[in-house]
This record gives sequence, C-alpha cells and structure tokens, in this order.
Amino acid sequence: MLSRVAASLYWLSRYVERSDGILRMLKINYASSQDTVQEFTWAPVIRIFSGHNEETQKLGNDSRAVMRYMVSGKNNPNSILNIITFARENARGVQEHITKDLWQCLNEYYHTVKDSRIDNALKKDDPVSVLDILIKQVMLYYGTVEITMERGEGRSYMNIGKYLERGIQSVDILDTKFGSIDDNPDLLTDTTYWKHLLLSLGGYELYLKTYREGFEAENVLEQVVLNNDFPRSVIYSVNHIQRYFERLKNDSNIDDYRELSFYIGRLQSNIKYSSVKSIKDEGLHQFLTQIRSQLYGIGDALNNHYFANS
Amino acid sequence: MQESGYFSQYSPIDGVWDEMYGVGNIRDHYSKVIDYLSRESAEDLARKEELAKRLFMSQGITFTVYSSGEGIEKIFPFDIIPRIITADEWAFVEKGIKQRLNALNLFLKDVYNNQFIVKDGIVPIDIIYSCPHFLREMYQLQVPYDIYVHIAGIDLIRDHDGTFYVLEDNLRTPSGVSYMLENREITKRLFPDLLPQCAVRSVTEYPNILYKNLLSLSPRQISNPTIVLLSPGIYNSAYFEHTTLARLMGVELVEGRDLVVKNQKVYMKTTIGLQQVDVIYRRVDDEYLDPLVFNPASILGVAGIMGAYRTGNVAIVNAIGNGVADDKAVYAYVPDMIKYYLNEEPILKNVPTYQLNNRDEREHVFANINKMVVKKTNGSGGYGMLMGHASTDEEIDDYKKEILKDPRNFIAQPTISLSAAPCYMQGGLHPRRIDLRPYALCGPDGIEIVPGGLTRVALKEGSLVVNSSQGGGSKDTWVLA
Repeated sequence: MLSRVAASLYWLSRYVERSDGILRMLKINYASSQDTVQEFTWAPVIRIFSGHNEETQKLGNDSRAVMRYMVSGKNNPNSILNIITFARENARGVQEHITKDLWQCLNEYYHTVKDSRIDNALKKDDPVSVLDILIKQVMLYYGTVEITMERGEGRSYMNIGKYLERGIQSVDILDTKFGSIDDNPDLLTDTTYWKHLLLSLGGYELYLKTYREGFEAENVLEQVVLNNDFPRSVIYSVNHIQRYFERLKNDSNIDDYRELSFYIGRLQSNIKYSSVKSIKDEGLHQFLTQIRSQLYGIGDALNNHYFANS
Repeated sequence: MQESGYFSQYSPIDGVWDEMYGVGNIRDHYSKVIDYLSRESAEDLARKEELAKRLFMSQGITFTVYSSGEGIEKIFPFDIIPRIITADEWAFVEKGIKQRLNALNLFLKDVYNNQFIVKDGIVPIDIIYSCPHFLREMYQLQVPYDIYVHIAGIDLIRDHDGTFYVLEDNLRTPSGVSYMLENREITKRLFPDLLPQCAVRSVTEYPNILYKNLLSLSPRQISNPTIVLLSPGIYNSAYFEHTTLARLMGVELVEGRDLVVKNQKVYMKTTIGLQQVDVIYRRVDDEYLDPLVFNPASILGVAGIMGAYRTGNVAIVNAIGNGVADDKAVYAYVPDMIKYYLNEEPILKNVPTYQLNNRDEREHVFANINKMVVKKTNGSGGYGMLMGHASTDEEIDDYKKEILKDPRNFIAQPTISLSAAPCYMQGGLHPRRIDLRPYALCGPDGIEIVPGGLTRVALKEGSLVVNSSQGGGSKDTWVLA
C-alpha cells in the first residue's frame, strides 16, 4: 500500500472518530446545561477540543454559541465542519482504497454538516435533534466500514487511527474532568457530574451493571482506564491498536515494525499492570500525562516509519 | 396515447440537423423514448432532473470551485434526455475512427523516426518543428508495439445535412470517459426499463478493455505487473475521473510524490518499501511529467521518469509527444496521412481548415471572418477562440492583431452548424447544439471503441460552444443494437 494512502486512511479515520467524540460530548453537556443551570460550564469541553483562544473566550457560557462554534464554526479547526472536510479530502485522495459505499457515506456526512440548515437549527431549534442527525451519520459510517471494507492493510491503518484517537480522547476527558475537582472539591461527591461524564463516553449503563454502590470517582476511573470490556476505555483502545498493528507485520520492514511494536507493548504494559491504587499513588494527572505522551509517540513513530516515506 | 404539451411545443432550429426531428416527424430511433417520455408529465421530468442532480451530488461526482477561500461543490450540468445514435450511424463512425487512429499512430511513429511523410512532401517540415508539442526527447524512442495513442477521444460534429465531421483529435490525455460511464448509471436510475426496451448497447466494458491493454504493455514479463494511474491530485478538475478509472480497473492511483526513480526504474513508495512500477497511465501533461527534462518547476511529475521510459523499463500511456499529432495545424493534414499511410480514402471528413501562416489563406479568412471560427493551434477547452459570427468589430480587430503576431499559432475553419438534440429545460424540450466524443482504445490486438461516448451540449440558446469550461453540459449517449 502506498504510504500516502496509508496516512490518508489513518487520518480519515481519526477525524471521524474525533467528530463522534465531540458530538457525544456536546449532546450530553447540552442536556447537562439544561439540568444544572447554576454550576454548569462549557469550559472543560472547549478546553478538550479547542483549547483557549480569543474566540473561545468570547463564547462564554452561551450554549448555542458554543455548539455552533464546535459544529459549524468555520474558524475552529476542530469544528465538525472542518474535520469532516479534512476527512473527506483524505477519502477523496484514496477513493479506490475505500469502498464506493464508504465514500458516498462520508460524502453525505460532509454535505449534511455543510448544509446551512444545520447551523440555523443550532441557532433556533432543538440542538439535540441536530446532534442526533450528525451522530447518525457517524454510526452509518461505522456500519458501512464494518459491512463493506475488506479486512486488509487499509482497514488496519483505519483502526489504528480510530483507536489512537479514541484513546487520546478518553485520556483528555478524564484529565479535564478530574482536573476540575482540584478547583471544586464538591464535584467529587456530585452524582450528576459523574453520571454526565459516563454518559458522554457511552459508559453509563455498563457502570450501573458493574458497580452497585452509586457513583464513586475511583470506580469511574477504573472503568474508563482499566476495563477491558468498555469500548471507550484507554486499555481497550490500546489493546486494539496492538491487535491491528500486529497485522501489519511484514518481513520487508521488520525493523520499523519492531520499533513500533516496542512502543505499543510498553504502553500496553503500563496500563495493564496499573491499578486504581497505583494510579492514585503516582498521581492521576501524572499518570494520564505519561499515557498521553506515549499515545502521541505511537502516532509520531507511525508517521516516521510508515507514512513519512512520502 | 395523449401527447404531453412539452412535445408539441418542440420546434427544431431552421437549417440545423435535429437528432430527434426529421422532416415533420420524429425519427424512428427516437420514437420509443418519446413514447416513454410522453407518458410522463412535465412535473415527472422535473423530479427526474432533481433526482439526477442529487445522485451526482451524493456520489461526489463533483468538481470544486474555490472562491473567497471556501470550496463550493459543483456538478457538471447533465441533461436527462439521452442522445441516440443508430446502429448504422455508429458502424460508420466506428470504422472512420479506427481508420483515422491507425493513420495517426503511423504518423507519430514516422515523425519521431524516419519522417518519410516529410521527405515525401506530404506534411511540411515547419508545421512539425514549430509545434510546441513536438518533443525532440521522443526522437527514436521505441514504444511497445509502436502504439503511441492508446486512448483517443475523437470529437465529431454533424453539419446541417447530418454528415459527420471530425472537429478535433484528442490524443494526449483525453478526459470525460467517466461521464460516459456515470451518465449511463444515472439514466438507469431515471428511466427504469427504458434501456433494455430500446436495445441500447452497454458501455461498461471500457475499463476492462483499458486494463487489458495496459497489462499487455508491461516491460517485465511477470504474472502480476504493477499498473498505476498517475494523477495531478485532488485539486485537478478531472480528479473524480481518475479515481473512477483507478477503482474500476483495480489499479493504484498515484501522485507524482508517490513515485521515485532509481537506476532508471520507477518505484512507488509503499508502507513496506519501494515497489517497481511497470505501466503508468498518466493524466499529467507532457510538460509536467519530468522536471529534469521538461518544466523544471513542476511538482506534479517524477524526476527521472523520462530516463526510465527511454530505457524501456516503464510503459507510459499515452506516449509522450503525441501533441504533434493533434495540433490544430497538423489536423489539416490528417486526410493526407490516411491516403499516404493506408492508401485509403478518409471515411470521416475533416472540417476545412485554413492555415493562417499561409498568406493567401489568411487573407481569405480575414475577408470572410464573419463566417469563420478562429482557434489557437495548441488551445483547448474552448479558450481563446474567436467565433466570427458572434463577435463585435472591435473583438475581431483585436484578434486579427493577435494572429499577425504569430500566424502559425492560429487556424480558421468555416462555422459548422452543429447538430441539435432535445434538452429538458425550463419545463419543456428545447433544441440545443451537441457534439460527440467516442473513446477509442488501441492495444496490441487492435482498436476497440465501446459503443457510446460523451455527448456534450451547449446549454445556452444559440451557443455553439460545448466545452464544460464555457457553460457546456453533457448527455447520456445511446448506441442502438
């Protein structure tokens, strides 16, 4: 496979995964903003996906303004509009490596988010309906990948991209949410706070089934970092990066493979042989910072050894 | 059966061959379609037109126009009413194109080797040497099977009496074939059951034939040679076509930056290292192909590719330097080439062409400029043309000055009145001018032409310019069995 093609598939997949994360985050936070008017703030969401800048400062706590910025904001490089445009540009360059169904699906997603009705509806109508329309596009995408894409090298790059992105997102969300507790210790015992965190990761129902004693920060941490069965946990993402990377093994670039394999294995062990207690002893923020930098390291190494040919 | 209003309103243009309307009645080969259409209301047709637009959009059959930093997706205008060609007409056209292409291939071989045609005084030497697309780099370079033109798009038009004329030969990187294929797919959706009812011949073989031909050109005798399609990239207006063809043939779509030349061999950069490339179907123009030999500023090409080509380690399709054969000044000599190389009378006529570097012909053209179309010999896309009958005196004077600066760069042809076909617009059927570009594929087994082609339409009333860059659209093109 061409290096350029591999890189495009990887990025296309990362962008779509990112859009999924953003949309779910927006949906739950919007619901949350309708629940707890007093203390609700969009700041963590903005921090995770856009960072602080002049423009985000101006948004303040205006839900509609924030959502418009995050969904259809032209000047926000991480708006759904912009990342899906990037995803589609990447797909356009590798059209003969993805199925026609998948290309059409991404194309529809792009035209849907570009439609001015989306922005208008965010301004005036029910934002949840808008977010649902877009979330459905992502689900269509994943269904189409699942049903139509061949199980070859290309899909491995797509999956590595997807799980790398997901892992980074989960780490960022945890880091931000737990970070907020330092400023506001009351949150530690605030049930809705944890509930919304779990909802935005799609892990609420699993949590209820696993833990009977209500919402505890430690349990949330355990589920989101260490639960092998939770599809948005950090360990789940890393296991899948490992699984799909193994399929790329090939004698003609064995040195590159070994190096990447080492990075992934090290990260996997770091998480696998951690416990809630060891993480707390080390300091959650420090632990997450290390995991994040190792995830980024894998991305860099892929770039150097598999994509940088181009 | 009741005839819907929009048919009775159809009025052919005076003095123009109408593809649908004969003397006072509908031609036989259009009757089934008209029956079908007359059962649909004007609203049905409007809905079909909407559906066609939506299908093009959702399938991403679009090109992007960049304005104020924002990309706007556009579709090439598509007219839903098919253009129909009878079996007899097609047999004639097919025979004529094959003959013409045979002669053109022989001409290219000759002109880059012994130049007999020049020595025998058929084609003047200055016409060839003054053509910017005549490339000395190709001199005595042997190409596989002596085939230079593997893919040709021959533009045909019909005069007022229905006679076919060749308007121009496109022998470099003719485009539009994906629209031939996609237009047909859209028509299948718009008019269920109509294609089999009318016994329309299929065009789907095109990518298979092309692939078979590309495969046969591999310099390495191996079971699975690497074939790539070289595209300038996603910002090229024909990019959709490049991906469509790559997908339909199952070959790798590459850009210049994906290729590298080492020891006179071309390789592509893959995730597991370099992989040798055997055949390149390139959609990058000659001058951008190799910065070491041609335009040094090009980043679309591959440094050293010309060396690999010359060594015979890679096959390039179409051959480099074909522009000398589809130059508009050389065009005038194609009928002579057919006689010279094949000892046959040309089947398809040329449009009479005046060479403006010939003083007598130039004066004749200037005296009759209102009846002339003046073109640049190396222009394309309908740019830089002067339509004498539709220009102001001032435009004509300016153009004359341009011509006198370098007369070799211009030719003139009498205005040929293109044939017209019905188009659906403003809620009714109206005649609009059309041309026809069939795509001929030349391989070691001979020339094959899929029955069909691209029919381009001048959508503006009264316009004779069908180029998509000048407000032209396209139609599905049916060849009946």
